[in-house]
Amino acid sequence: MAESLAPQCTPLKTAYDACFNSWFEGYLEPAVAASQTADREAYSKKKAEEYQQKCGKVWEEYKTCLQKAIKESGLEPVLQQAREEHPLTNPSPPSNH
Amino acid sequence: MHFFSQSFQYDHPWSHVVIGMWRKYPNPKCTHVVSVDVVDRSVDPQTGIIRTERILGCKQKAPRWIVKLFGGSEDAFVREICFVDPATQNTTITSVNLSLSQFASCYEVVRYTPSSHNRTAFTQTAEIQARMALWRSAADGLEKWLCQRFEQNAQLGKTAFTDVLRALSEERLGRPAMAA
Repeated sequence: MAESLAPQCTPLKTAYDACFNSWFEGYLEPAVAASQTADREAYSKKKAEEYQQKCGKVWEEYKTCLQKAIKESGLEPVLQQAREEHPLTNPSPPSNH
Repeated sequence: MHFFSQSFQYDHPWSHVVIGMWRKYPNPKCTHVVSVDVVDRSVDPQTGIIRTERILGCKQKAPRWIVKLFGGSEDAFVREICFVDPATQNTTITSVNLSLSQFASCYEVVRYTPSSHNRTAFTQTAEIQARMALWRSAADGLEKWLCQRFEQNAQLGKTAFTDVLRALSEERLGRPAMAA
């Protein structure tokens, strides 16, 4: 895995990435299949909870470390500005082809 | 303003490509990417859409005049937002530079969608524009340099990701990599 921008956060980042990747690999193909039926919402809800249970703790630890590092590096104002300029909180509609 | 776009197909199913996306870095063919951090991630319990916000740190050798003129270092940060939607099988990744953002904007959109059962279509577009009221020649020079870097990195990224997907595929099929 790549490093974190803050070396002291790299172990937490590695642990979080491993947790997410493992969850995601079990998530994606059944999610596609569930979308073809009426099961999408039930499946999504179950898997979202599972992600929280499995990765919630290590995510909080990593996030705390990273947010502190971002503040200290001076990146925060530019990140805030970028978020205001392009919030990107909703997926754009897929292009037609 | 400079535009860039390319599209091609990966010979892998969509879900394989999307899983591989998170394993792209570090990559020997993309040594300019030195750090990757997830700053936010959410799984929507109703739609199943996963939104990820990342910051990528890049080191790029810039011409001295660019480094000096903008008093910057060679460290460049990029903000990337990714949406994975299993219901529509659409992954959209939007990236914008954080560094030098007051001087230039490089806005990139990448999409992965299935083109057939075993292939995935990749499209990439970028708009690169110098922002401030710079001298015309400085603005043009900066845009041109950003474009060259972008095109070069796009080519490296394509080769690098192809390697990642192939390795991942072999790993899944249980083939030993380079048997002793």
